[in-house]
Amino acid sequence: MRLRVILQFVGFVVLLISLSMLLAVPFSLAYEDGTAGLFFGCSGMGAAAGGLLILATRSKQTVVLNHREGMAIVTLSWVAAGLTAALPFYISGAIPSFTDCLFETMSGFTTTGASILEDIEALPKGLLFWRSLTHWLGGMGIILLSLAILPFLGVGGMQLFKAEVPGPTPDKLRPRIKDTALILWTVYLLFSVLETILLYAGGMDLFNSLCHTFGTVATGGFSPKNASIGHYSSLYFHVVITVFMFLAGTNFALHYKLLQGSPGSYLKSSEFKYYVILVLAVTGILTLSLWGSSGEEAGYSLRHGVFQAVTIVTTTGYVTADYELWAPLAQVLLFICMFSGGMAGSTSGGIKTMRTLLLGKHNIRELKKLVHPRAVIPLKLDGRPVPENVLGGIWGFFLLFISLMVLAALILAGMGMDLVTSFAAAIACIGNIGPGLGDVGPADNYAGLPLAAKWVLTFCMLLGRLEIYTVIILITPEFWRK
Amino acid sequence: MRIIIIGAGQVGYHIASRLISEDKDVVIVDTNRQVLETVAESLDLETVHGSGSSPRILEQAGIRTADTLLAVTDSDEVNLIACTFSNILAPELKKVARIRNPEYTEYEDILARNLLNIDIVVNPEEEVIRSIERLMDTPGAADVNEFPDIGLKLLGIWIREDSPFAGLDLASLKRQSAMADFIVASIIRQEKLIIPSGADILKTGDLVYFVCTRESLEQFLSTFNLRGRSQHNVLIIGGGNIGYKLARRLETKKGSQVKLMDQDSQRCQFLAENLDRTIVLQGDGTDQRLLAEENVGGMDVVVSLTEDEENNILSSLLAKSMGATLTVTRINKLAYMGLMHSIGLELIVSPRLSAANSILRHVRKGAVISSLSIKEEAEALEVRAGEHSLLLHRPLKDIDLPRGVLILCLVREDTIIIPGGDSVIQPQDRVILISSNKDISKVEKALIGE
Repeated sequence: MRLRVILQFVGFVVLLISLSMLLAVPFSLAYEDGTAGLFFGCSGMGAAAGGLLILATRSKQTVVLNHREGMAIVTLSWVAAGLTAALPFYISGAIPSFTDCLFETMSGFTTTGASILEDIEALPKGLLFWRSLTHWLGGMGIILLSLAILPFLGVGGMQLFKAEVPGPTPDKLRPRIKDTALILWTVYLLFSVLETILLYAGGMDLFNSLCHTFGTVATGGFSPKNASIGHYSSLYFHVVITVFMFLAGTNFALHYKLLQGSPGSYLKSSEFKYYVILVLAVTGILTLSLWGSSGEEAGYSLRHGVFQAVTIVTTTGYVTADYELWAPLAQVLLFICMFSGGMAGSTSGGIKTMRTLLLGKHNIRELKKLVHPRAVIPLKLDGRPVPENVLGGIWGFFLLFISLMVLAALILAGMGMDLVTSFAAAIACIGNIGPGLGDVGPADNYAGLPLAAKWVLTFCMLLGRLEIYTVIILITPEFWRK
Repeated sequence: MRIIIIGAGQVGYHIASRLISEDKDVVIVDTNRQVLETVAESLDLETVHGSGSSPRILEQAGIRTADTLLAVTDSDEVNLIACTFSNILAPELKKVARIRNPEYTEYEDILARNLLNIDIVVNPEEEVIRSIERLMDTPGAADVNEFPDIGLKLLGIWIREDSPFAGLDLASLKRQSAMADFIVASIIRQEKLIIPSGADILKTGDLVYFVCTRESLEQFLSTFNLRGRSQHNVLIIGGGNIGYKLARRLETKKGSQVKLMDQDSQRCQFLAENLDRTIVLQGDGTDQRLLAEENVGGMDVVVSLTEDEENNILSSLLAKSMGATLTVTRINKLAYMGLMHSIGLELIVSPRLSAANSILRHVRKGAVISSLSIKEEAEALEVRAGEHSLLLHRPLKDIDLPRGVLILCLVREDTIIIPGGDSVIQPQDRVILISSNKDISKVEKALIGE
């Protein structure tokens, strides 16, 4: 563990986040909300801190990162990014409590979308833009962005890549990490531009188009409107946002292959087929349940059924309707879907369909083995065998995910929260979804939670985004032993 | 530039790490998943699991968009099949196969032209024997290499504590030894490359690379006090392919006295039957008594060439302590390279490193006529500037070269010119330059004129 190397990287990330604050300035000026100076000041402070850190740790040696340093860099960079991004909220006094500031920015970077703001629209537009921008930066990954734009991070980049990109075995799209990171960010940028144009063309103003795009392609869920997407009644907006949430929950490697001219890749991926079937099934049951038991009309049922199914499966967390008023079947189904998440290599959170698919296949294999005890049955995905150690890693992840969620729920219950709220808040944060059920449901927010609960949930969000291992390893004594 | 390497063993790994340091896209194919995982952790490349002889795997590695295929597994058959399929799938691709069985190399032309269009076939043993011979011809140099067509030598020399040149800056070194024609190409200090300027000072422990002509070599060596005895008495430990061929080469030299030692009695029988003047000994190269009996102390050169590198190191150390003047040691694991100088063994040969270097040389073919590796840090290149090259038609001082690049000399119609800032490179000139690994791709681009 070389602290110097780690701090140097953290310095670059702080610098990057600070400079990106300036992107909010045009909106501060356009809406004359008086936050332009604030952003310049915060950006300057952050850049100075980052710059000093880089200067203090600079060295001529070329650095080759090892595993441990890779994980420490990623986790610490994310924490540092959250702290840096919290500056404008804290200094402006828009969010008075520091805990709340950090909760909000972490929720942003980890694309959770859980908010402690009771009246979102009361905030200056500049700050709201910055809040949504944290989604966009965190969606495809801050580290990945650094790998794409900083020239010198080639060596050891794989360690950083593996520690940040979600999924059991992240794919490299090109032989070099830098090119891979660049491609992923380019595809991401392309989708963002496309969605912004579509929303703008439908009559949403530029500010809201951008903010909602950030929330969609990052599968985040922050909206500058109090009623989230429910603010808009236009079917067009709902459809555009649903489509892009679905795309953002798909593996970006598949989108890249489409752009390269082989659209067949989607159908060749069994994970994609599984993801589509999952979304369709959830949509179907939700629609039927709304239509049948809640007695809503068919059009309403289908529209909100589709939207809510996609937003929860992809862990976005936008809402068009208060689903707590829906039938119990719909509520339980949505709760279960919070565990799923989208595809590996997408911007979504949760367990990821890749893992649930493989676990399902594994269980089927075990059943077959009970019938034919001596059968040799390899576990295959898309025609290729899955190594046993990858499978072991998935089981480990699954178990950790569930146990940590349960542990968090237990702690929350210890602070006096009820059964539904504590479980829903825990899964909504560790799964990077945002709105849960009970006191943290779609019509409520996280403002009323006890201080300690907010810290627990902030940590959960980070755990969920970096897929647990990267973060949890840092608090084991084994990690720090020489 | 996308390069596919078949085989992630020592040779494949080494080539990959060199190419990556030159900013090239590398895909490596191997059948061993664990090896691939280790490689992927330390190098920035793409890995494909499977056999390189399978067309499906080759497709998966992106053979159709690749520029070069390097088949470097330990198996000649796999390498040849990989090249054959590549030839069908992507006829335009440049293909290099690593071949170990000497029988194949006799049919090199057929492989290259008639049948498979495999550009080059490499036989590292030949390369190793040649480098042993070069080291024996130039005692005192730690590394000897040559640009064959133009007769320029590249020599690496350690600056020892007792060297009169330690502490001298390069400008005064040049003045003091005005007699000899040479250019300082680069300095390796603590395994780091220094591109020299007149103000650089030589320090004890530096490995300094010089370029000089074949004719001025004698003078150069006497300037540096490196002229040793003639190398007549040679003991070779290890009678494998390399040992056998080296003995056969040496025994024809006038006045030479060659002993060849091997453990295996059957092999010794074979060696004795096929060699004329060489004395074949059956025994262990680490057996101190046997070495003493055969008068190791009186040997000019002891060459340890068995398959077992740890034994080679021991034999060389023993021979040194018993008074042998010069030892040459064969090493397989490239990781050992760095250790050798510190335990006093300076002359090292490695079939795998030789193979890797000659394969790399073929990757460069094009504007680069030949290239010599300098301690894995840099390369000395003999190049010819293309029509549109950025190096042509302007004085050198106006050319914006990367920091790790130095133009050493020009060869114009057999005369060697040491250029100044006002010199202009002519289209027919051959240029000798040195470039750090990471600037090589920039040099290549500058030569084509991109």
